Amino acid sequence: MDRAFRALIERTFGDVLTGPVRQRHDETEMRIRPGDVPQVMRTLHDDPRLRFEYLGDLAGVDTGTDFQVVYHLWSVVTPDWLRVVADGIPRDQPRIPSITFLWKGAEWMEREAYDMFGLVFEGNRDLRRIYLPDDFVSFPLRKDFHLPDDASRSPGGGVRPMEDAPTPADAAATTVRRTATAR
Amino acid sequence: MTAYWNRLSVGSRAFLIVVPALLVVGAILTVGIALLLPPVLGFLGANLPLARFAAAATAIIVVTIPTAFVIIYMELKVIAAMNLRVGPDRVGPYGTLMSVVHGLKVLAKEDFTPRGVDVPIFTLAPVVVFASIPLTMLVIPFAPGIFGQDFNIALLYFFAISGLSVVGLMMAGWASFNKYSLLGALRAAAQAISYELPLTLSVVGIIILAGTMSLNSIVQLQAGSFLDWNIWKQPLGFVIFFIAATAEANRTPLDMTEADQELVAGFATEYSGMRFGFFFFAEYVNVFVVSALSAVLFFGGWNAPFDWPFPVTLNLDPGGMGLGLIFLIALAPVVGTIILGLPFWLLSSRVSTLRALVIGFVLFNLLIVGAFMGWAFISAAWVSGLVWMVLKTFVFVFIFVQMRGTLPRVRVDQLMSFAWKWLLPAALLNIFVTAIAVSILANR
Amino acid sequence: MTTPTRPSLDDPSLTIPLEHAGIFEPIPLARTERQREFYDLRDGEMLLNMGPQHPSTHGVLRVVLKISGEQVVDLDPVLGYLHRGVEKIAENSDFHQIISHLDPLEYVASLFCEWSPVMSFEKLLDIQVPRRAEYIRVLTGELNRIASHMLFIGWYALDLGGITPILWSFAERDEIVEMLAAITGAKLLFNYFRIGGVNGDLNHDFMSRLGDWMSRAGAQLEAGMGLLNENEIFVRRARGLGILDRETALRMCATGPNLRASGVPFDIRRAHPYSVYPELEFEIPTRREGDSLARYLLRMDEVRQSLRIIDQCLHQMPDGPVMARLPRLLRPRPGRAYSAVEGPRGQYSCYAMSDGTDQPFRLRIHDPSFLHLQLVGLLMPGNLIADTMAIMASLDPVMGGVDK
Repeated sequence: MDRAFRALIERTFGDVLTGPVRQRHDETEMRIRPGDVPQVMRTLHDDPRLRFEYLGDLAGVDTGTDFQVVYHLWSVVTPDWLRVVADGIPRDQPRIPSITFLWKGAEWMEREAYDMFGLVFEGNRDLRRIYLPDDFVSFPLRKDFHLPDDASRSPGGGVRPMEDAPTPADAAATTVRRTATAR
Repeated sequence: MTAYWNRLSVGSRAFLIVVPALLVVGAILTVGIALLLPPVLGFLGANLPLARFAAAATAIIVVTIPTAFVIIYMELKVIAAMNLRVGPDRVGPYGTLMSVVHGLKVLAKEDFTPRGVDVPIFTLAPVVVFASIPLTMLVIPFAPGIFGQDFNIALLYFFAISGLSVVGLMMAGWASFNKYSLLGALRAAAQAISYELPLTLSVVGIIILAGTMSLNSIVQLQAGSFLDWNIWKQPLGFVIFFIAATAEANRTPLDMTEADQELVAGFATEYSGMRFGFFFFAEYVNVFVVSALSAVLFFGGWNAPFDWPFPVTLNLDPGGMGLGLIFLIALAPVVGTIILGLPFWLLSSRVSTLRALVIGFVLFNLLIVGAFMGWAFISAAWVSGLVWMVLKTFVFVFIFVQMRGTLPRVRVDQLMSFAWKWLLPAALLNIFVTAIAVSILANR
Repeated sequence: MTTPTRPSLDDPSLTIPLEHAGIFEPIPLARTERQREFYDLRDGEMLLNMGPQHPSTHGVLRVVLKISGEQVVDLDPVLGYLHRGVEKIAENSDFHQIISHLDPLEYVASLFCEWSPVMSFEKLLDIQVPRRAEYIRVLTGELNRIASHMLFIGWYALDLGGITPILWSFAERDEIVEMLAAITGAKLLFNYFRIGGVNGDLNHDFMSRLGDWMSRAGAQLEAGMGLLNENEIFVRRARGLGILDRETALRMCATGPNLRASGVPFDIRRAHPYSVYPELEFEIPTRREGDSLARYLLRMDEVRQSLRIIDQCLHQMPDGPVMARLPRLLRPRPGRAYSAVEGPRGQYSCYAMSDGTDQPFRLRIHDPSFLHLQLVGLLMPGNLIADTMAIMASLDPVMGGVDK
């Protein structure tokens, strides 16, 4: 635990923090509003006292009531992992600014969070399903996802239809979807 | 009659059917041959070149498949040894029948025609590829008197016909309705165009030296010891020829057309069964042909690398032995078997009498065959020529196989730039130097 | 104690009619900007599907290449063919069960994707791992790292068309794998690390094999590398291919050897030390070029450093227990824990949330292969089709980890 670092975080981000800075083991946790993510991340990345150049992880979380996006950052100035929790994303409007302007590599992690939670990262230029088929209907890591009804409601019963490469002549005739009977 | 038939065993029934059938067939054949042979022989005698061509074409197609089998087996075993593996060891002694079984497997597989292909071209492409390669073998002199045709433009014919296989590859690639196939075919075309030039130009030096394009004459001009071979006169030409030939035969490291890590299987992606088998065999026969041509052009063809140091003459006159000959033929196997088996029988009590006899029989046969082959090697020029030629050819086949086990593949642009920036200028340089040298020697 | 009932597949009352399930409606998104850019073809361009069944996509991966002749204009990897939903599985399994589910993620070096979840669970539970267990973890982990790098070398050569090196390196890998099989009982998915320690002490079989191998490993590795390092065709193909500069590597969240080959000396073993790495002496090899050859050579250097670490582990390993004393039922306090380890491909990390039950509330697995596969789209454009696999293989993704 790095007490000095905690003080530094509190001094720098005093007004945007929504909760106390917590520390446990080798982690320091700060909570912010989703709207503040770009500004906070830019400060963390560019400030010469902080220099968080390395993005360790980006995870979506469903707390059961609302969503969170959790970032883990690493810097040379502290031996701790910095955990930034963007808290309180509403279920009906799960929108949060993207951080791809800083870390282009977060693009796929955001795609994954969209795929699993339906979180919409505004500013991500490639926000689509990454693991699941494009026509999948629900978001499996949400806490109210139940396999029997949700997956089966997707076209093909959760099974991706075969990509067919027909000859131009019979292109229309070969598209067979199993949902024709399911609906 | 029926009751009698029902009492017979299966073997007896078969016997009763087969023996009369054989008798009838034999009678028909005898009559047919007696009637038809004279006119056929007369026709062949009248058209000897045609008969020679037919015989040579048949022989080459018959020889092609076993040659491919041998090379495939060689490749499996050599690369396995390089890879710290054992390789095939189950089918036949030491896995020697592995490639035969490969061939049978390919024959037995479904000949699948995917949806969307251009069926006639798709079907014809393997035939074109495969046919072009035995055709090139027609002009290669394997031994004195053993060659298909001796053109005075044999070398030109060779390059022209071997270029034909690219047409087959293009057909396969275009008709397959597959982007990988198309890419493979286009690579094949580009590669063929780029490497035909240095390949052809690299042998111009030899043509200048020999004054002819007839392969037979080129081989005859290299007669003597190994110091008379063309390799000493055209070292650069040989290097260029060998590299370009590797590309022509689509072998690693220049096997762009079927780079399996990039293009799945290139032009052959959509092929299965024997159509794929044709491509497969064509590749290996091509290796053989290219190796044979290297041996012919640069390594003296059928000529022995050195003269036999002392003269050997065998003056056998079997007729002079009279009745003794018959006794010899009758008794020699029995006596030889016993004499050769006796040491094994005496050596250990665990070798049963029967086994000792079998060992003796095998040894006797090996001895006789060896003696006969040795006699043929010494007394018949074409036998020794063939042996030397095949030996030299397989040295090059071995080099091709070893290269495949050692080298990674070059990239397609590296391949092209190498051909145009290095091989082609080097080949031209080789021609100039050879021409100047020849003219200086001629004017002296 | 009442266990919460889970929905059964056959329960008709759970089938929610479509019109009532408002929150499951996907947020309607048209084609993304990137999709428009990629799938609108200009004149002379065509799409080429590489995979999911292709000889060298390192698993079940589909890459849509946009090509113009032999040149790759752009590419779009399509994932999900190996997706098992392991994060969802983890939410429904208790802490011990999860470890065996995580093994197949990184099937080439499976100890590392056990390591980071186990570490984060230990943080959640405030468990002190015995020092001997830590040493054993480091020892087996470094062995597994060498095994993984050996496979990389072979695969890389194979993707460039050389068929021999993979069998030479497999011979090497096989000795290590046999060693690990002697203590773990498995050759691929070891399932060896446990919360609070490891699943058994080193045994005689392992030690004798290890001693035997260590005595000749160095020389053997150098001999094997000579096959490629001095091969002109190989070096010419790999040099200058797929250059990843320092800034881009950081922006793309690259980790591990791929980041270090671009000149960033970032290694979690030193940057954020865990286990007993602070007590061990080793260097972090870096290279400046950032091309495929540098990535390949860097892994060679790492193998040498791993041998050093193994040697030190063998000399410094203390006696003692290999498992901490744990309650039978693991119920951590509610909280969050994050831990990262440096695997052969980069940073494996795990973010675990507990709500006080015996199952994690959320388990996030972060795998380096996922991010490195993303790099391919950046490095590839402008190169030839032949180099697709060369670049992809030099980044060394494992599809089990990419697809989770």
